[in-house]
Amino acid sequence: MEEKIISKEDLLNICKDVISSGHTLITPGKTEYTVVKDVSEIVLDANVKPTKASYKTFVFPKAEPVIYYKRGKNDVQLLDIDVEQKKTVILGAKPCDTNSFNILRHLFNWDYKDEFYNVREKQFIVIGLMCNYSDKYCFCTSVGSSPISDKGSDIFLVPLDENNFALRVVTEKGGEFIKDYEKYLKAGDATKSKAVTDSVEHPEVAFDSKQVHEWLGTNFENPKWDGVGDLCLSCAQCAFVCPVCHCFDIVDEDYSYTEGRRMKNWDGCQFGHFTLHASGHNPRDIQGKRYRQRVNHKFKYYVDKFGEILCTGCGRCSRGCAVSIDIKEIVSNCKD
Amino acid sequence: MEELRKHAAELLQKGEVAAVIGYQQISEKRTKPIIAKTAEDCAKLVFNEYCLNNLSVYLTKARVKELRRVNGAVLKLAITAKPCDVHSIIALIQESQLKREDIHIISFNCAGVVKDFGMDFNGETLAAKCVPCDTHKPLYSDMVFGEVKETPKVSDEVLAKIEAIEKMSAAERFEYFKSEFDKCIKCYACRAACPLCYCQRCITDKTIPRWVESSAHARGNFSWNVVRAFHLSGRCIGCGECERACPMDIPLSLLNRKMVIEAKEAYSYVSGRSLETPTLVGSFDVKDSDELFM
Amino acid sequence: MDNIYKPYLAEIAEIIDETPDTRTFKLKLKDPEVAKSFSFKAGQFAEYSVFGEGESTFCIASSPTRTDFLECSFKVYGKVTQALNRLNQGDTIGFRGPYGNHFPLEELKGKNVVFIAGGIGLAPVRCVIDNVLDWRDDYKDVTIIYGARSVGDIVYKQEISEWKARPDIKTVITVDPGGECDGWDGEVGFVPTIVEKLAPSAENTFAVICGPPVMIKFTMPVLEKLGFKEENIFTTLENRMKCGLGKCGRCNIGNVYVCKDGPVFNYTQMKELPQEF
Repeated sequence: MEEKIISKEDLLNICKDVISSGHTLITPGKTEYTVVKDVSEIVLDANVKPTKASYKTFVFPKAEPVIYYKRGKNDVQLLDIDVEQKKTVILGAKPCDTNSFNILRHLFNWDYKDEFYNVREKQFIVIGLMCNYSDKYCFCTSVGSSPISDKGSDIFLVPLDENNFALRVVTEKGGEFIKDYEKYLKAGDATKSKAVTDSVEHPEVAFDSKQVHEWLGTNFENPKWDGVGDLCLSCAQCAFVCPVCHCFDIVDEDYSYTEGRRMKNWDGCQFGHFTLHASGHNPRDIQGKRYRQRVNHKFKYYVDKFGEILCTGCGRCSRGCAVSIDIKEIVSNCKD
Repeated sequence: MEELRKHAAELLQKGEVAAVIGYQQISEKRTKPIIAKTAEDCAKLVFNEYCLNNLSVYLTKARVKELRRVNGAVLKLAITAKPCDVHSIIALIQESQLKREDIHIISFNCAGVVKDFGMDFNGETLAAKCVPCDTHKPLYSDMVFGEVKETPKVSDEVLAKIEAIEKMSAAERFEYFKSEFDKCIKCYACRAACPLCYCQRCITDKTIPRWVESSAHARGNFSWNVVRAFHLSGRCIGCGECERACPMDIPLSLLNRKMVIEAKEAYSYVSGRSLETPTLVGSFDVKDSDELFM
Repeated sequence: MDNIYKPYLAEIAEIIDETPDTRTFKLKLKDPEVAKSFSFKAGQFAEYSVFGEGESTFCIASSPTRTDFLECSFKVYGKVTQALNRLNQGDTIGFRGPYGNHFPLEELKGKNVVFIAGGIGLAPVRCVIDNVLDWRDDYKDVTIIYGARSVGDIVYKQEISEWKARPDIKTVITVDPGGECDGWDGEVGFVPTIVEKLAPSAENTFAVICGPPVMIKFTMPVLEKLGFKEENIFTTLENRMKCGLGKCGRCNIGNVYVCKDGPVFNYTQMKELPQEF
């Protein structure tokens, strides 16, 4: 489909329809992406800062049961779980968030297919919105993205003026979705939208990711890693707000004497006990080693395994870090 | 600023301290902690309205304590602390985590800090913790810098919110806190940023038995946040770092400030104010009120 | 919905207390369809669970050629192993597997093999030993060198006596100096020392080694000195694992996920890994 134009009012009409059809509509809120109950909550502003937390929790929940169990005298019954089949539309996702599925999909389908993730991802329709914000923490351009990238979006919006957006269908899924709303679409003006996207200030490229990848391969023992962990307080803020960090824990929780569930919960490699063995041995016993793992996993190991950088350059981790540790600064320093 | 930097460099050069834990400016409206070990590092030290971190959180870290050993000797640590941060240093000494003679406290005459990085400093952006503050001059220090300035007068929104919640029914209060705690993602940034959460192994990390669930569902979130509030009762000094560190904007100051008020009203105790006073939960007096239990 | 986290149910058919803190379970998969079609290769591991306590990772200690039972051995350390220790015959546990890679036994046919194990490290090696013994004619000389801290810490006492009784393999058992008892007729000395003394020729020989990190650290140089080629020394890496299927990130070291690219590695691959395990 060619580029079209849609008014903000009609976009909100689509939203009203999505909500009244019983589907889930998500949009950036004050802190995180939130489920919309009423369209008056929707703010489609390309100039706002990225939310503090990503929308990862909608495909990879912060805590979810993977099986239910019931203990009998000496046997056990296991109850299956089915992920709810519910269409989800995410409206106004920034380009630094939209590419997250393309990155995460590899891991959740590496030989073993995690249906908890796949079923949810399949039901997602991502309507991305061009970004016109940039601060010293943004580095989408250093990891192969940009404020005007439609990678990962099913439909991409470019604000033309206060009341109108250019609408581009990026994927077949997006085309299927917008087919029902063709009545709202007017003829597009590619020159006008190009003028808008051309005017967007791109964050300066901070580092060459290929060069960083190469440096990481030969600098595991480099003394630069020694001081990196000094300030870190070992929480998991950076991992949990990240759109692509995906480490998790599996724990059992009883809720009665005989019944319970096995939970799959977010976990972070910065926690002191992440690699702690029952024997007491801890291969990553100091923060510097843990932070080294974070950078290596994101910029080398994931690239080698799946061909994608495990980072979208959104800068949430650094913006939100209580002690202002800046991953862009650390990765930029990964050179001789 | 120059005086501060000179003083810090002198301490290091004379071999009185092993390191100076301070703030450095990283952008116009943001600072970051720095552990200064050289004169070059000291030249970066600052103090201004953007010094939000409570640096005393580093004083109980093993890797920082190790820094004290220099060439066979054990030196002091210097720390730049706002008067409110000094309260947490005092609380740590009260709880036997530090010795007064091991810390060189560099403090300031403080007129308040901003709510969050990136804001201009004025009455509207004054941090919530600065509003009820009554210690613009540090209670303990080895060196004080800075001119005495007026703190902008602002209404106490946190107190107003506490009073509004107190008027709610028990069911309404439960709903309110449940909806706030539902946002929690169990990143434990609150615990990490808190100088008084220094337990080597937090109760929520213990698995035999599992006292506090690690899952970030309603029950797990409620238990974590309430357990932390209880473990800080009578100890929290109100630095507000937990709320600032929280990525989900959970109003942790409501719970913690409420417990501070309770401690003051029931036991006339305020944490971190005097080295002569024993801690509230670490001491017993037959005259202690029983009302909180009945 | 296909659920990769859902375990099979297995019944504890028999419990053997190897030492005061080590146990072996002989398990039978409960679902007859699953039990019939289940197969694995020597070196693979599984996630064993006590429902309500959690999951723990152990190798499958029985040989894939012996299908009566699936066996696992574990040392009682933490939450889940303590819970496993409280179970009785007839109880049900969860079994998720087989996961990981395996020892390349097919490729190593025709060679000599020396098995070197220490303490509970005999468990993952035992499945390979029994597999090789069941395919005995496909291999040349077989040597087993096993060491434990003391006589009381020796595991698989039954199996060891069976191996010792066989004339077609050489079995050497040692205890650490001070760990012997009256009437002990085995060797006395740390495993690296005994390996240096009694290991077979490195010519056309592959080695399978498993044990505590300190034992491996000191035995590897001995093997190198004896002329063993790095790519012919295999070990199985003990690492903290959770999901077992390459997703949770816990066992990620370098470019490798121990649960997917391992846990069996040869010494060349081990040396390439960042040394954080």
